[in-house]
Amino acid sequence: MEIELIEIRDFLAARPPFDRLPDAQLNSLPRSIQVRYLRRGRDFPPTDVDGSFLYVVRSGAIACHALDGRLTGKLAEGELYTDACQLVTLGPRGRAHAEEDSLLYLLPCDTIKRLGETHPDFGAYLSDSLRQRLRQAVADTRNEDGSVLASLTLPIAQLPARDAVRIGPDDSIRSAAQRMTAQRLSSALVMDQERLLGVLTDRDIRHRCVAEGLDPNAPVARIMTPDPTTITPQTLIIDAINLMSRLQIHHLPVLANGQPVGMVTATDLTRYQSGNSAYLVADIAKAESLARLAEISAQLPDLQRQLAGSGASAQQIGDAICAITDALTRRLIALAEADLGPAPIAYAWLAGGSQARREQTSHSDQDNALLLSDAYDPASHDGYFSALARQVSDGLDACGFVYCPGNAMATNPDWCQPLSGWRRHFDRWIDRPEPKALMLASIFFDLRVVHGDRALFSDLQSHVLPRSRDNRIFIAHLAANALTHRPPLGFFRTFVLVHDGEHDDTLDLKHRGIVPITDIARLLALSAGIGAVNTRERLIACRDAGALGREMADNLLDAHEFIALLRIRHQAAQIRRGIPADNFVPPGDLSELERDYLKDTFKVIRGMQELLETRYQTGRLR
Amino acid sequence: MSWLDRFTGPERARQRALRQVRPGPLHDLLAQPWPERTRLARNARLIALDIEATGLDPIKDHIVSIGLVEIVDMAVLLETALYQVLRADTPMPQDSAVIHQITDDRCRAGLPLAQVIPEILQRLQGGILLAHHAWVEQGFLSTACQRLYGAPLVVPTIDTQALAQRLMRNRNQFVAGTSLRLFNLRSYYRLPRYRAHNALSDALATAELFLALAADIQPDGDLRLGQVLMH
Repeated sequence: MEIELIEIRDFLAARPPFDRLPDAQLNSLPRSIQVRYLRRGRDFPPTDVDGSFLYVVRSGAIACHALDGRLTGKLAEGELYTDACQLVTLGPRGRAHAEEDSLLYLLPCDTIKRLGETHPDFGAYLSDSLRQRLRQAVADTRNEDGSVLASLTLPIAQLPARDAVRIGPDDSIRSAAQRMTAQRLSSALVMDQERLLGVLTDRDIRHRCVAEGLDPNAPVARIMTPDPTTITPQTLIIDAINLMSRLQIHHLPVLANGQPVGMVTATDLTRYQSGNSAYLVADIAKAESLARLAEISAQLPDLQRQLAGSGASAQQIGDAICAITDALTRRLIALAEADLGPAPIAYAWLAGGSQARREQTSHSDQDNALLLSDAYDPASHDGYFSALARQVSDGLDACGFVYCPGNAMATNPDWCQPLSGWRRHFDRWIDRPEPKALMLASIFFDLRVVHGDRALFSDLQSHVLPRSRDNRIFIAHLAANALTHRPPLGFFRTFVLVHDGEHDDTLDLKHRGIVPITDIARLLALSAGIGAVNTRERLIACRDAGALGREMADNLLDAHEFIALLRIRHQAAQIRRGIPADNFVPPGDLSELERDYLKDTFKVIRGMQELLETRYQTGRLR
Repeated sequence: MSWLDRFTGPERARQRALRQVRPGPLHDLLAQPWPERTRLARNARLIALDIEATGLDPIKDHIVSIGLVEIVDMAVLLETALYQVLRADTPMPQDSAVIHQITDDRCRAGLPLAQVIPEILQRLQGGILLAHHAWVEQGFLSTACQRLYGAPLVVPTIDTQALAQRLMRNRNQFVAGTSLRLFNLRSYYRLPRYRAHNALSDALATAELFLALAADIQPDGDLRLGQVLMH
């Protein structure tokens, strides 16, 4: 039989959430529609309509304004206005009018609600809960494609089972070595009955026993690594790889219900799949020349592209990329130390910005700094550290991490300072927040030790964190700074709607999506005295400390994940086409669903920014 | 209604038809008084109707399909949509089958005219016929009524083509021959493109065009029937 009103049916069928309805429902849906025409300038929803309806713009355009007249969004062909069918209005209340002569399809809210009850997919889309919609956005984006690397998101339990040698803490090192040799394993679990005490590896025996001249009859407890980091059979392979890279370890005991069931080694993971980050990290550790490092680093975009198709989360991909950047940095430092000799005093090599936050996408600018012990004496030490900084920085540049345009690098004498010098820097930034200092905040309030003396950095942090937390003026300036990058209002046809009278041709995912959330997380963390620098970790820590409402925190986390995934996918597509990766997405490349989800993420960011504006009275600072 | 109207124009034609008509749905329709010209269009029920036929001559040609949809309170209510294929007694000429995409087989599956017309008349009763280039629809329906009930169809009518022509002339716009076609007028008002030559699609297209024309003629929404009725 011919489907009546097929144009209307097809028009609805092509867009979410109607595309989630089965044919039978879709075919009968047009019958419940009424069609209205709204002339340019008239109020929307039409004032002469009785009852509540969901509106679909069939042609024309609707402009929405806040009560103070500010443009808050526009609806064009195919877009939905659902406010009247929702218990809670998501956006700010306001007024709307037809900006062009518009043809509207009206669907009674009762019909929509009934469909939502019988078809949960459909209902979820129109849900009142922004929370639910954002969670769906992330799920939809991650599940989209599968590829060879999809197996990285399988649990460790999928790896071939490998038992481990179990030894007691009082067993001799010699007997442990004999059993490891017999079973051809490079590590053993040190157990007290059923309790895991530590891990013993070939390397421990070499470094802490043979090299030190320790008696092989001594108990293994003397040289084991106590209280090791463990994983479970459910831990994802990619997370295990990232964990090893981050902690610079090669063995992870696997515990099920607290009981050791095996051991996963770095070799297992590199063998498991070539092309994963563990493989590259292992290659980097073996590289003997800058040329070789540059060669390995050139594979980074391809790794990012493959990970993007693997169903991994943005953070997992960020961790994998960061593992490689860190490994490169450490290898460059090791090569430099081999050239220059060991460092004359204790120091820490710090990464700043996105590397510190573990949020890099393949090749970004390098931001780094040197933190030296207070034993620093310019006359005798300056030559060494400026040579070290030069060599590592040049090496990173050769590997594709180009010099920081703002010169925030260890080669800049300002950023190569003893602990006391860094304290003075931070005191100045916190006590006299100037535009330049605030610009540097995204680099120098996001620092992480990549190599060297962690205690030095802990000292610096314990100086900085209470001061930044307690200085209200500094925090207020940081809040104002966190409001400089605003999300767009939404989309209008093929444009990004920025605000009244301004359109962009492309969506800058970085500055209009990711940076605002990163800035918010930094502000919240610093105002709560939290030391984490990763955006997700900051938001979670703020939520758990009560510095950020649970709902808002979860929404920001999902918004961040969704935009970051979109960026990774966008860049993966560019890498596949052989063009340089960037952050600019033309709205035409986004699906209807992605546009809708993006609008939700913009709403979350805007909501948080408005909250900050009120809380910190930032209007007075600008 | 002025006293003069009783003896001239549509009202006189209605009275005359009412005297001729046999009892039935046409009688009931003709018994309805002519609507007041001052009545607000939003308070009237409009029946947008399109007929696809084997040709343009109501005597020789016959109806292939009829589509209609009603406008109430200036909203097109799609639940009122009706689409009916009619049974052909003679094979359909080739070219018209191509235009309407209805084959002889499907036509034979349709209903006889005598069964379809009563429902159409019931819908039209007390309402206003709305059509684009309305004399075609009026001609075919009236011929059918004459055959079935012995009287012509006299029904208040709005013709979107005539309305558009008048509007453009009043604005001193040049009216080219093809610019008054349904498709072209819709694109002038930036209404979406529909599949042409399906009776229901065209009826809906006509209904939407009327809403656009009405908003253009009387932007404040207080359009009166006298501003748009053919007579």
